[in-house]
Amino acid sequence: MSTALLERRLSWAGWLIASGLVVELAVATLVHPLAFVTFAVVTVPLVLAGVALFLWALVAG
Amino acid sequence: MSQADILLVVFAGVAAALAAVVATRADITRARGGKILAFAALCVLPVVSLIGGYTTHMERAQSTEFCLSCHVMSDHGQSLLYDDASYVPASHFQNNRVPRDRACYTCHTDYTMFGGMNSKLRGLRHMYVHYLGTEPAPAEIKLYEPYNNRECLHCHLGARKFEEQSAHNRTPDSLTSIKNNTLGCTSSRCHDTVHDVEAIADETFWKGATVPGASRQEATQP
Repeated sequence: MSTALLERRLSWAGWLIASGLVVELAVATLVHPLAFVTFAVVTVPLVLAGVALFLWALVAG
Repeated sequence: MSQADILLVVFAGVAAALAAVVATRADITRARGGKILAFAALCVLPVVSLIGGYTTHMERAQSTEFCLSCHVMSDHGQSLLYDDASYVPASHFQNNRVPRDRACYTCHTDYTMFGGMNSKLRGLRHMYVHYLGTEPAPAEIKLYEPYNNRECLHCHLGARKFEEQSAHNRTPDSLTSIKNNTLGCTSSRCHDTVHDVEAIADETFWKGATVPGASRQEATQP
């Protein structure tokens, strides 16, 4: 795999993780069921997708 | 905000910033240090942050404040302050038989292997009804299933007051019937005075404590 492609995937992984963590930050102090669901439905998939993309980029590279 | 919350916010913030650095400057991974940074920022820190967030939210979902954050539950929260010991929830809350900051969860979770998970699934069902379905009036809110003695016995089983209570030993097999849920604590009408939010307008309230999270709600009565 080319270095450019690997770096593009790492970049995507970084953005996915960063956006997921920003959402986690936004609901981190809220005590409300919507905060719980937002964490479960938005944060967890974004971060896990980012980590999976990162690991896949390493393996595929 | 607790110290754990502050720690989580700082940790997640640093993790997000590092992930953004790698996202914007992916070329740093050509160097050895950059590779280590990328591994930390895109794998280790996000996973640790997720675990921290998950733990925090699961803990928080057990709090009285969490349950009462939906307006429809505010009357139930206020019913914990009824100045009448015949109300089972009120007497439990006011006499510290349940932790006040986890009053709802303590009585309304299932004490089984997957009870906590079942409670969360019920919570999701509550949310579905709250946001997408037809929400009942507070007085119309009922349990999905009859209250199981198992939840009472989680604390009361083995307690002298429970085991030697004359009403619990009225017949030779009554204590056994209570313990195996054949004779329901609430359905037998022995302890059936529970939240009864219809009576909220006629009740007086104990001033000795506040219900966590209830102060921000506009309940029918104070």
